[in-house]
Amino acid sequence: MKATLAPSSLTSLLPRHNKLSSLRSPPSLRPPSSALMTTKTASRGSVAVTAAATSSSALREGIAEFYNETSGLWEEIWGDHMHHGFYDPDSSVQLSDSGHREAQIRMIEESLRFAGVTEEEEKKIKRVVDVGCGIGGSSRYIASKFGAECIGITLSPVQAKRANDLAASQSLSDKVSFQVADALEQPFEDGKFDLVWSMESGEHMPDKAKFVKELVRVAAPGGRIIIVTWCHRNLSQGEEALQPWEQNLLDRICKTFYLPAWCSTSDYVELLQSLSLQDIKCADWSENVAPFWPAVIRTALTWKGLVSLLRSGMKSIKGALTMPLMIEGYKKGVIKFGIITCQKPL
Amino acid sequence: MRLIVHNMLTCNIKGVINKFPLRIEAEKVIKKEVDFNPDFLRHMLAKIEWKALVDGARSMGYTELPDHAPDTERVESDESFLKKFHHALLELHLEEGSLVCQETGRKFPVDKGVPNMVLREDEV
Repeated sequence: MKATLAPSSLTSLLPRHNKLSSLRSPPSLRPPSSALMTTKTASRGSVAVTAAATSSSALREGIAEFYNETSGLWEEIWGDHMHHGFYDPDSSVQLSDSGHREAQIRMIEESLRFAGVTEEEEKKIKRVVDVGCGIGGSSRYIASKFGAECIGITLSPVQAKRANDLAASQSLSDKVSFQVADALEQPFEDGKFDLVWSMESGEHMPDKAKFVKELVRVAAPGGRIIIVTWCHRNLSQGEEALQPWEQNLLDRICKTFYLPAWCSTSDYVELLQSLSLQDIKCADWSENVAPFWPAVIRTALTWKGLVSLLRSGMKSIKGALTMPLMIEGYKKGVIKFGIITCQKPL
Repeated sequence: MRLIVHNMLTCNIKGVINKFPLRIEAEKVIKKEVDFNPDFLRHMLAKIEWKALVDGARSMGYTELPDHAPDTERVESDESFLKKFHHALLELHLEEGSLVCQETGRKFPVDKGVPNMVLREDEV
């Protein structure tokens, strides 16, 4: 069953000082954000978010099916990290497969570093939640690195099973485990996790406010939250929304990858501010991920890649055909690769 | 699903007060050996909801755990206890069955060892 993803309504996050609404409340137009992105906190203002009018369960099923179908293919060609690599900007060297894998690991390390997780801080991290865990690459890496317990959640039963099997094969079963659960309704008590990790899963959340609220809820006092996600560019002063051509580009990507809503990095910062998080930082890493999609396309166009794609099914094929749009989005400055981190007060 | 995870899972249906623990209905339980790590276990002991662990273990067919965990000082030297704790916490796997919300009776299925905690539209 496919999710219908025509974004036909503007739904907004409530302005600062008010309780944040979810998409279930009637959509209303709000004045736009005029926040500019800086490396510290963004300027304040109310924000507008474009959302797809789709039933949540249809979207969840669509996401689950997409990953059920495509995870095996991805793993075969790229391994167990389902996220962008982090590259030095202007690096024109054509990397080998292992170079890309190293870049994916570097993405994890750079994210932890950006969030302020020093060697000293690492020792305090005992329990981690990986929100949108894929087949568990980040979880296993972090659990090994910190000796921490890591729980991952994904909507895809295929991914969860595979993630558990990989953990077992790496003798990490005592430390990591994976469940099928919804990031918007995390099945955990408040304040359980010293580190809340969301590596490229925010794109799938139809309700960014709810997504962020859940991340904050399950974070322990003093715990850190790390969100690495695809965003659209920040809106300029006086801008109501993205340009129609920009919106159109995102719509075409949304349909294939089950991305119901895009927001900007500043929107995330505003949300975190409204929830009184501390030490909120953000950055634009678009330049650092530029080599990634061309590399993915190159692997798709190899003999092995093409055969595997054809075997995998329509969702995979459509996904592959959509990848040039991602490159276009980045090149034209519509799509940004953002990191937003913060700490929950004690 | 192992009990170390069960000890963290709650029912998140809207309006439910008695979210934890979830009762286990076991259909298939398997045992998988895990390396014994006393330091890890001592550290975990402070974080575990003991009654939930004992009840969960019983539902999976393991009745060796004491009703109350020993004091932390005694635990240091009580290897027999640590081994039972280790077995219950880490080595019992619920492969097939359900996690049941004590308040609503809603069953969250466990399939191939993976619990599915996704709520329906009307539960949110």
